[in-house]
Amino acid sequence: MADLRIDLAGIKSPNPFWLASAPPTNSGYQVQRAFEAGWGGAVWKTLGEPILNVSSRFAAVNFNGQRVAGFNNIELITDRPLEVNLQEIYETKKRFPNHAIIVSLMVEPKQEKWHEIVKKVEAVGVDGLELNFGCPHGMAERGMGAASGQVPDLVEKQTFWVKEVAQTPVIVKLTPNITDITMTAEAAARGGADAISMINTINSLAGVDLDSWNTVPHVGGKGAHGGYCGPAVKPIALNMVAECARNPLFNVPISGIGGISNWQDAAEFILMGATGVQVCTAAMHHGFSIVEDMIDGLNNYLDDKGIASVMDLVGRSVSRYSDWGDLDLNYKVVAEINNDVCINCNKCHIACEDTSHQCIDLYTESGRPMLKVREQDCVGCNLCSIVCPVDGAISMVERKSSIAPMTWNERQSLISNFAK
Amino acid sequence: MSDYLLSLDEMKQVDDYLEKGYKIHNVYENLSGMFVEFERQQIVSLPILTADARKYFAAKLLEKTLV
Repeated sequence: MADLRIDLAGIKSPNPFWLASAPPTNSGYQVQRAFEAGWGGAVWKTLGEPILNVSSRFAAVNFNGQRVAGFNNIELITDRPLEVNLQEIYETKKRFPNHAIIVSLMVEPKQEKWHEIVKKVEAVGVDGLELNFGCPHGMAERGMGAASGQVPDLVEKQTFWVKEVAQTPVIVKLTPNITDITMTAEAAARGGADAISMINTINSLAGVDLDSWNTVPHVGGKGAHGGYCGPAVKPIALNMVAECARNPLFNVPISGIGGISNWQDAAEFILMGATGVQVCTAAMHHGFSIVEDMIDGLNNYLDDKGIASVMDLVGRSVSRYSDWGDLDLNYKVVAEINNDVCINCNKCHIACEDTSHQCIDLYTESGRPMLKVREQDCVGCNLCSIVCPVDGAISMVERKSSIAPMTWNERQSLISNFAK
Repeated sequence: MSDYLLSLDEMKQVDDYLEKGYKIHNVYENLSGMFVEFERQQIVSLPILTADARKYFAAKLLEKTLV
């Protein structure tokens, strides 16, 4: 039985699975039920200036039969009074003293506003704070959320103001709606952040109704951009976590967020440098009980790998993530088709012939249709194995290169000696 | 000629020049590919246009640098 406990910048949690600041953490009732279900921590839905919400609020993108491949929302921060939230946070912490309660905060970029809310929230006993510099809709139009999170100086300054008074660890939640997230991550670190979390949601419009021509969702015939999350954003989030984890200019723990739906997703984020993960869409889709499989799955995985603590898994893949220019140009894989398993759907042939390198030949052997890869023309792009519907029919196999490893950067360095 | 056969041909030409004792005098690239000037008594220019052959030449260049 592996040790799933984590310590993220001093915030201790019985496991790495936290609910993200979002509708699932709107109230004490929900967070307490989540803790009963097994979640190790929760980031309370963002507290801040009084707001009003609209109806409707959510939309989902379904893809090829998978419901909620992506999720879009235009809901804002909490619309409940601060005192009500604080009372429920106090009661929840009292009932679950060993679970992590982090409270998400968002106010105008003014020192006194940050000081006021930090003091009030910490007074009820929380384990940490998360500064919401990422919410892309509504609040951003008022200069908060992503609007301030897209300006490194504002990220640094507001983090610094919070750190002036905060007694608990401060996590800065970053927006992905920026060209280079490491710029704002670095700003957060300069401001004194104890940790960073990413990603918040991505600017999105879920769709347009082809009958009514209304946006999806719409509010009485009008729409506005929302925040996109769910499984579809996982690769974007994973890259941003990895880019921050491998950046040598700052070194703060990371709470990974973005499309995490199961223990495998969580393990990938942890391998890429996240100390823990936050989940929202999967819980909204399937309920709090999904955490049971997450805990069991991660525990079994660690046992299988012979790893005693999940903390020993953190960042183990970071050194394997690099710049394209540092990849070996002479590493070679080719596709290999197992005709015993192949069902002759020919998707690989069509994909290769139409959109790749035309290296899969059709032929017949004893009257049976067969496929064969011309290895000399195969560039190892993986497309055939990606489109193949049958497990084991196409393998990508390594071929030892006759020439020494060399990266693009090494090559350019050599050639630059001839520059005239 | 297929890209594969063309690359084999270009790699062979690289080997031939080096085996004949030519030195690499200059290397430059433009939108068409790589151009290598080999020098012995005179300078000859070899266009290397295929990707595999350009990788191969870079490996040879590294070998020469390390010698």
